[in-house]
Amino acid sequence: MSGKSAREERREERLRTESEGDKQERRKRLLQIGSAAAFLVIVAVAVAVVITQSSSDGGDTSLEDVALVNQELQGIPQSGLTLGEQSAKVTLFEFGDLQCPVCKSYAEGIVPEVIDSQVRSGEAKIEFRNFRIISQESVTAGAAALAAGQQGRGWNFIELFYRNQGIEASGYVSDEFLTEIAKGAGVPDIAKWNKNRKDQAGSLREVQRSTEEAQRLGLTGTPSFAVAGPNSDGFEVLGTPGDAGTIERAIEGAS
Amino acid sequence: MKAPAEGTLRAIATFVATFGIGVATYIAIADSGGGSPVCLAGGGGCEAVANSTYSHLLGVNVAVFGIAGYVLLLAASLLRGDAARMGGFGISLVGFGYSVYLSYLELFKIEAICQWCVASAVLMTILFGLNAVRMIGYVGREA
Repeated sequence: MSGKSAREERREERLRTESEGDKQERRKRLLQIGSAAAFLVIVAVAVAVVITQSSSDGGDTSLEDVALVNQELQGIPQSGLTLGEQSAKVTLFEFGDLQCPVCKSYAEGIVPEVIDSQVRSGEAKIEFRNFRIISQESVTAGAAALAAGQQGRGWNFIELFYRNQGIEASGYVSDEFLTEIAKGAGVPDIAKWNKNRKDQAGSLREVQRSTEEAQRLGLTGTPSFAVAGPNSDGFEVLGTPGDAGTIERAIEGAS
Repeated sequence: MKAPAEGTLRAIATFVATFGIGVATYIAIADSGGGSPVCLAGGGGCEAVANSTYSHLLGVNVAVFGIAGYVLLLAASLLRGDAARMGGFGISLVGFGYSVYLSYLELFKIEAICQWCVASAVLMTILFGLNAVRMIGYVGREA
């Protein structure tokens, strides 16, 4: 009787030990699976970072001032290449060439002042018109801005382009550069933007049309400004004022 | 070092996952209206991130994937057993990895920080920590 009991006890002990061993083995296996998964995720993140890095055109052309531009324009409505409330009484026209370094300095200094003082408040809106004075690349860039405007990011594109402008007619206005600007500007549909910017009858034709308009108005350089409002003398050409105050006074006078 | 009680880990994970569902849902709703989440401290960070091409994956806002992830993590925290332990760990691991990638994009590609995305990344990191401790401490043991 007691012998059987001892055998049973030994058997139970053996089963317990085996079961404990199984559990340990299972636990070890699951921990190994967890470690392998963690390793795979680390590798996947590293690969994704490398791919993102290399797909940004060489990896060394990170854009300047993306956040600054987005912050400057945040909350201001855009339509095409017009920035500001559509109902604003006065329209300030800027005839610019995206390759023009003087336009760049205006974009960084004078224009933001006007945006803050009179566009954000709804007193005026600014309409950018392409005036090609430098090279064919200006047409390519202008058409790309117009295509960005079709997706509500025209001014982000223009401002970001100026802040990352290269040496004029040096060939920097490549598809890669423009795409990077469009992405930085937040153009939502890059494929559509690509199609629209190459549209001969659309964006490219529009750059030609606004350039001819600027020439008809007798403008000779960029950036050139003009205002139109209820109290302006029609389309009032301001030329290239050297400070924001002159533009602001012209807007007040036209409103 | 002894792991905290599994019940405690699960309770905290339940709370954090629920909070995560709220954050991801807010981002998704803000995006679906054609806008972007509102950064509480101002600035254009949230708009810049929401408008970037990285905010969508296969045409779907990444916040929607976030909601799905948090819901699964909530389920894992409510369930017992090895399947929940391993599942919670796996999902939070993927979520954490993707959060690291998105944070990298914000800092170095978009150059803008969205507080809501940071909040989600922090929650996902906490969930990963909780699920990792739960998995390491309790997998293969009695539920």
